[in-house]
Amino acid sequence: MNDQRKVEVDPLNISFARAMEVVTWAGIAILLVFGLIYMFGAPSFVDMQQAVEHWHEPAGDFWESVSDTSVQGYGWFLTRLTKMDAISMVGICVLGLAPLAAILAALARSLRSRAYLLIFLVLTLEFLFAIVRPLIMGGGGE
Amino acid sequence: MRRSWRVVTMLSIFLAVTAATFVFAKAGYAQEAGTAAQDGSSSIPWWLWPFILFAFTFVIGIIAPLSGVGGGVLLVPLSTAFLPFSIDFIRGAGLVMALTSALSSAPQFIRKGLANIRVMAPLVCVSMITSIIGGVVGLWITNAFPTGKYYITMALGAVLLVIFVVMLTSKRVEFPEVDKQDKMSASLGLAGSWYEPTLDKVMSYRITRLPVGIIFFAVVGFIAGMFGLGAGSANVPVLNLIMGAPIKVAVATSMTVITVNDAAAAWIYLSQGAVIPLIVVPSVIGITIGARIGAKLAVKAKPAFVKYLVMAIMLLAAVLNIVKGMRGLEIF
Repeated sequence: MNDQRKVEVDPLNISFARAMEVVTWAGIAILLVFGLIYMFGAPSFVDMQQAVEHWHEPAGDFWESVSDTSVQGYGWFLTRLTKMDAISMVGICVLGLAPLAAILAALARSLRSRAYLLIFLVLTLEFLFAIVRPLIMGGGGE
Repeated sequence: MRRSWRVVTMLSIFLAVTAATFVFAKAGYAQEAGTAAQDGSSSIPWWLWPFILFAFTFVIGIIAPLSGVGGGVLLVPLSTAFLPFSIDFIRGAGLVMALTSALSSAPQFIRKGLANIRVMAPLVCVSMITSIIGGVVGLWITNAFPTGKYYITMALGAVLLVIFVVMLTSKRVEFPEVDKQDKMSASLGLAGSWYEPTLDKVMSYRITRLPVGIIFFAVVGFIAGMFGLGAGSANVPVLNLIMGAPIKVAVATSMTVITVNDAAAAWIYLSQGAVIPLIVVPSVIGITIGARIGAKLAVKAKPAFVKYLVMAIMLLAAVLNIVKGMRGLEIF
């Protein structure tokens, strides 16, 4: 790349991007590897044929029909980590944590700037609240 | 290398469009009194759905990074019409898909200097709070004033229509000129540069009116939180028209905003079981491949093309919101 095309990207941005990329690929790998194993017939929490028969039902009814389980919070898949589809769900959790990892990486880079340190600290707290919010407040809004 | 990318892209688009055409032709069943979509029966064998989802999401994956939207604005209405899944699973898959497309493309945009975390951070900091408040108020309004959300949906559609007209008539959308930065933007160092291949030179930009941008993001966050509306289509015009970000920077920075907002929202869907691997896995494969191609195309695309794509998405989102609101109010 010649000098005319060279762009200086600030280190805070690069740290954010690197952390996001690593965690995203980890999440996608877990989601896809275990998801595909599940789709090829490995032991699962939800039988595929049953899933197809009931996937037109609202989420609550679907889980009652396919597993006789009332779904609320994260325990429904975190307590079944021997099942391939449940492990695949962990991949989505990892994807959900990717921006948090990126924010923490940016926070570590912004120790000299009081303004950004404060902004990233607030963002971290907000994100942690977003994770526990469904457990405290249920599923209202997004 | 560039040629092989082009061939792969063209082939993939061809395959995806062929598959999508096949699906839509077959999926006339969903229109047949809506019965199949309601009871889950379908003339399409179940194992074909993952391939259909792959093709569907692949195309959306290419479009999303080019236009700065998560993809939910395209996926949810089309899926509701043609696919047999419950709206809960469509929205769950749409959110995971939008999140994955944003996560796959944002790091590439950041490395090229197109997306700027220094711009994103203060905006998201405020919009996340207002979106949480919106979620609480939304619950209250849904109980106390059930038709209220339809008026707001229509109002959002009308606002997007106005933005569409402003973008259509505005002359400096591709490269807005910022003569002077406000104090807050200057002190936070809201500036950057990227290499623009269509001009073969490094372009610099400065962001301005951060306080006004924060207010707009707060309002957008509140509405998004209140009614679960996607906000990607509203981010780009605020960054571009109000804060002076060049259109490509606005689109790329919007993708980083979507990573944070959608990741935060994903936990709600997970906690309610609105995400199932059988639907999500093929969607994520499609969107991941599509978004990587889309992000590469977005870097090389002409700013004017990006502008027209953003405007087309905006018009689509405006019409869909107005129709949705009118249907909710049983106007037609």
